[in-house]
Formats: sequence, C-alpha cells, structure tokens
Amino acid sequence: MTSTLDNIVPLKIDKITVDELLVSDLKLIKLTDKVGLDNIITNKNIYRPQLALTGNLGFFNRNSVQVFGNTEIFYLNSLTKKKKIEAFKTLAHYKPPCIVITNGHKLEEELLDIARDEGIAVLATQYDTTKTTFILLEYLDDRFATQAVLHGSFVDVFGVGLLFVGKSGIGKSEIALDLVERGHRLVADDIILLTKKKEKIIMGTGTSVVQHHMEVRGLGFIDIRKMFGIRSVRFQKRLEIIVELVEYKHGEEYERVGLDEHPRKILDVEVSSVTLPIFPGKNITVIAEVIAINYLLRTYDSNPAWELSNRLQQELERKTKDPNMFRDMRYIKDFQGDTE
Amino acid sequence: MVETNVTVKNRAGIHTRPAASIVKLSSKFSSDIYLIRDGFAINAKSIIGVMTLAAEQGANLTIRADGEDEELASKEMKELFDSGFGEP
Repeated sequence: MTSTLDNIVPLKIDKITVDELLVSDLKLIKLTDKVGLDNIITNKNIYRPQLALTGNLGFFNRNSVQVFGNTEIFYLNSLTKKKKIEAFKTLAHYKPPCIVITNGHKLEEELLDIARDEGIAVLATQYDTTKTTFILLEYLDDRFATQAVLHGSFVDVFGVGLLFVGKSGIGKSEIALDLVERGHRLVADDIILLTKKKEKIIMGTGTSVVQHHMEVRGLGFIDIRKMFGIRSVRFQKRLEIIVELVEYKHGEEYERVGLDEHPRKILDVEVSSVTLPIFPGKNITVIAEVIAINYLLRTYDSNPAWELSNRLQQELERKTKDPNMFRDMRYIKDFQGDTE
Repeated sequence: MVETNVTVKNRAGIHTRPAASIVKLSSKFSSDIYLIRDGFAINAKSIIGVMTLAAEQGANLTIRADGEDEELASKEMKELFDSGFGEP
C-alpha cells in the first residue's frame, strides 16, 4: 500500500542571507549600512569569537553569525589601538557573514571601516548576550528548519491537530468541511506545509497563496474564513495525530484495541497515527472527534485501553485466588431503590 | 518513473486557468503525476497544489510521472507546457 506519507521529501534549507536576520525580534540596527546584507549564513549555530580575537583560530567557525558580547568588546578595549586593529583584522580576514554586537555596544569607526572593506555586515542590538543568543538561536533554528509539503487536510479538533491523509478523492476535504461545520478549526486543506521544530515537534501551516481556501469537487474554490468566520480557522497547529483514510477491504486487519499508538515517522519525528477504513454509512466526522477526545484523555487523563486492560488483569489475578465466576462481576453492587 | 524538465513559457505564468488545464490533463492519466519546484513535489491533479507553485514565466519545473501511462502522460504534459497553455 502506497500512502502519501511514504513519499515525503524533506527540504533542508542550508543557507540564509544576513538581511533575513533583520526581521527577527532582535531589533537589529545596521552599523555598516548596506554592506554585507547579501552575505550567506550556512550554519545555524552562533559563534563567540573570544579566542579568535586573541589569534587562536582552532575551532573558529567562519560561516556562523559572530556574536560580540561584553567579553569581546572589553577585550578589544583593553588593547592598544594598533593591537586592537590587528586583532579585529585577524577575524575580519576570514570574512564571516556578519557580526552582532550586544548590550548596545558600538564598534569604533576604524574597526567598522575594516568590516566594510571585507564586506562584513555589523549589526547591533540593545539586548544582553544571553537574550540575544536565545532569540538568535530560536530564529536560526526556525530558518534552518526542515520542511516538507504533504497533500491532506489539517484540522484542529478540540485543540488536537488532526492530519487527514489518503488517496485523492477519498474525502479528506469533505471531512474537513464537516468538522468546520461542527465548530472545529481548519488549518489548511490540500497543501500542508510541515516544519520540524526543535527536533521533536512538527508544526503545520497552509501556504500564503491559498490560505484558507478550499476546493470542493464540482463546486470550485470556497473561502472557509469568509464563509464560517474567523473562529473557524487557525494559522498554525502542532501535528498530533495522523488519520489515514483507506478503503475498507474485507479480510484486512484494523485496530480493535487501541493499546498501541502506531507511531509513524514524519521528518524523523514520531507522530501517533490511526488508520480508518471507510465504507458507506460510516460517519468519519464523529470518529474524528472521538479520536481527538481520546487523545486528550490519553494525554491528560489515562489511556482507556490501558485502563480496561488493567481491570481485566486484576480480575484475572483475583480469579486465580477465588474462582467464583460471575458473582462479583456486576458493576453496580446494590441497585438504587427506585429501580428506574 | 519518468522525469521531464519543463519551463513556463507564457508571460502570465501558471495562473488559475493554466493551473486548471494542467489538472484537467493530468487527471486523464492513471499515473501519479507530480510537479517539482525547489524540492517541493506537488500533485499535478490538485488545483490548489498547482496554484501553490505560483510558477512565473521562466520558472523551471520537473514533471514526474509514475504509473502505467507514464510515457504518454509526460509527453502530453510537456506539450501543454511548451504550448504556453495557449497564451502569449
């Protein structure tokens, strides 16, 4: 069985340009105007060039963003003018893409001139180094995140991100539409952009062109946001469960117990999955809601399948001591008086 | 599996109507047909998908057809792209 899940091609982004940093939350100020804004950053880690300034270039990472914090600035200021220029030149010679100066420090004009000559962008932020590092790493992690595109429908059902996949024409969009009609929120239909965040989370969004439009066969495009209002849509959602819709085949085995969460790997992240056989008269929307509620129970309460299984286990253990069959099996020990 | 490289020829690029003709043509075939741009593979039978490509004039795409009629599908898809979707 070939499913759309098996041919996901991850798209790795291996470079960004310096001017992309300007839109991050660091509120960066350009100290060298337009110099080096097209420089390419190929590493999602940042580098503190403390040792590089002293001339020790052992682990110097020239493709990373160079962060100048208090240490670097105070070190440079402790040197004589000649030594300072020399130290800065050692670093600038390797043409790193950009230098980010924290704590609102400034570089002297002579040093900025060297940066300009080497085509290095120098940017400054008011934030301290710890905060800058945090924001910068978070931003770079997002920009370098692995992405993939998938055909399916992505809906927030009771706060749980359900991704419906399956063959073309099996009814993914119709289920999404039905769920929206029942008050759930559409993230995207047909084209879903998946982004890996922090190695263990997959976020799903729609695309900027399509947004919350949807194609209904035989009808054409509709705009869910306009039709059902702002509360019927979301812009992003964490992927929590993959619901694969398959045509029911007699003799094929489907899940009956639910002890196993059938994790599937998407972009190397494990996501639990459900395979739903479809046949006429089956109300998938209701089942989708139940899948979501069951996920909430499993996550915030307890797994019903485990609970039932444990109760059976206890009963079996009791039976080995007291083989009195059905006497104590009744859930209600004493009926209430009204016998209603 | 057959892969064919094509270029968008018409001035307006793949706007709604060309997208519709791509979907109409690819839906005739039983093969799986994908349009690939910048590493993103999009099902050519999905109108929303083809529109997402937002392929402008000069954009280079790869058509990947996989199935029984892959040869014919690739040929006819390439012809459609080469004709500029009947537009200047």
